[in-house]
Amino acid sequence: MRVVTPVYGIVARDLGRSLRQKGRLFGGLARSFMWLLLVGTGYNAITRIEGAASYQAFVYPGIVVMAALFGAMLTAISTVYDREFGMLRLMLACPAGTMAVLTGRALSATLVGIVQGGAVLLCGPLLLDLTAGQLAAAAAVLAVAAASSSLLGLLVAAPLRSVENFAAVVNVVLFPLLFVSGALYPTARMPLWLRGAARLNPVTYQVDLMRVALGLPGELGVVPSLLTLAVTSLVVFGLTAWLFDPEHRFIRRGAP
Amino acid sequence: MSASRPAIEAAGLGRDYGSTRALESLDLLVARGALVGLLGPNGAGKTTTMLLLATLLRPSRGTARVFGHDLVADRSAIRRCLGLVFQEPCIDGLLTVEENLLFAARLAELPKRDALKAVDDALERTRLVERASQLGRQLSGGWRRLADIARATVHRPALLILDEPTVGLDPEHRDRMWTLLDDERRARGTTIVFSTHYLTEAEACDYVVLLARGALVADGNPAALKATVGNDVAEIEGPDAARLLESARGAGAVRTVVRTERGYRIGMSGPREPLTALAAALPGVSRFAFRPPTLEDVYFERTGRDV
Repeated sequence: MRVVTPVYGIVARDLGRSLRQKGRLFGGLARSFMWLLLVGTGYNAITRIEGAASYQAFVYPGIVVMAALFGAMLTAISTVYDREFGMLRLMLACPAGTMAVLTGRALSATLVGIVQGGAVLLCGPLLLDLTAGQLAAAAAVLAVAAASSSLLGLLVAAPLRSVENFAAVVNVVLFPLLFVSGALYPTARMPLWLRGAARLNPVTYQVDLMRVALGLPGELGVVPSLLTLAVTSLVVFGLTAWLFDPEHRFIRRGAP
Repeated sequence: MSASRPAIEAAGLGRDYGSTRALESLDLLVARGALVGLLGPNGAGKTTTMLLLATLLRPSRGTARVFGHDLVADRSAIRRCLGLVFQEPCIDGLLTVEENLLFAARLAELPKRDALKAVDDALERTRLVERASQLGRQLSGGWRRLADIARATVHRPALLILDEPTVGLDPEHRDRMWTLLDDERRARGTTIVFSTHYLTEAEACDYVVLLARGALVADGNPAALKATVGNDVAEIEGPDAARLLESARGAGAVRTVVRTERGYRIGMSGPREPLTALAAALPGVSRFAFRPPTLEDVYFERTGRDV
């Protein structure tokens, strides 16, 4: 299939770029371990979560998802750099079209998310008593979570015109997605309005699946979580494809 | 693709952005292997025209075919024939020159072996072999543009569309770029459509299209367009410039008039001697010179702008 070559080209390019931005890769890993070691240790002293041996054990699945979330979303959002410097327009002009470009970007962002989340997942046996089967299940959930986050990242990137908005995106999008996901505290203990927001957040389902995969109690159920992620991912992909169509961008922006 | 079909056929091609008519109704016929210049002030519709032909925008009205493929229905087929060069070089600073070309070859759906050979050929052709391992961000502006040309031609497209490709280039790199493009035309019959604000670049075109405010105001080969200005252009400056112009009009020798900061450029038909004599009789004419017409004269006259 002809479309495989351009998709592969986009993935190869994105991964090549990621490998040459070592600071960003290490920063992503450091962020996860800081949360686990510094924030987790601090909260260990003041709180206990029902069903978890320690706060760190409770928060660990959320940190794995966080690593994948930040890794995948920030890679996908770097599409904004491509837009600002003309590379995106070049890609959208390729014979394979918008869908192939988005598939390639989503795949590469997913792979980066898997790598970053996988680095944290490898430390799991230090915190939890894990079987090989649980680790394998967690790896599968990691792939699902990274894919879902990469599509969210592309959706966030779609309306952005400039890299100057990057910092705002991290504060206004990424952190709220994490905070209202049950990663740091159970959704069952949230006030009603916040619990409602959590139910609308795809990351909530990623975190819950990861908890179940690692042998911890979940809140939402495996099948509903998988279905929710599948449906939201399809909707997000379709919406992103519409937003990335050069036709719609030019209509929204006005004449070039 | 039939060898006899034109490269581009457009009829009534137009594009709106909301209530703004960026391109009115463009009729265009570009022969295969032609060098076509798109000229016009900012906002004239040049970029819109190129984005339409590049299938990045859909037309609001009219039709167009590129090598016989419909602009709306056969976009993938058109894109396979296409190489694009935008105003900013599309060279990824974090990839090497070779990696950039390989990326472009893959976007063009070249299979692996063909892609590697195409990259080697492109590097040879553009004399970038020694810079193949350099990162894009390490290249100077001129070399980035040449790498950009290599990128756009790596898959040997039949049609190249370039948006102000020489902006910011020194004369050496500008010359090298045009030599590369000329080689593509001669060796492969590549059709080239480019926009530029450097009107001297359009002098070598087979066909020039001049747009203003979204409408076609002139088209044709450069010689024919310059002939509409006149046989000569008289540049006159000084306090008596307006009087000289009126005298020239009275003599029936004036074809076109463009106002400048200090006087006028008058497109003349007929012999030079009568106007020379008139100028000599006016003490307030500080500068008076004849020269051949240029595309710049056509540009200012047809776009209704002052110099």
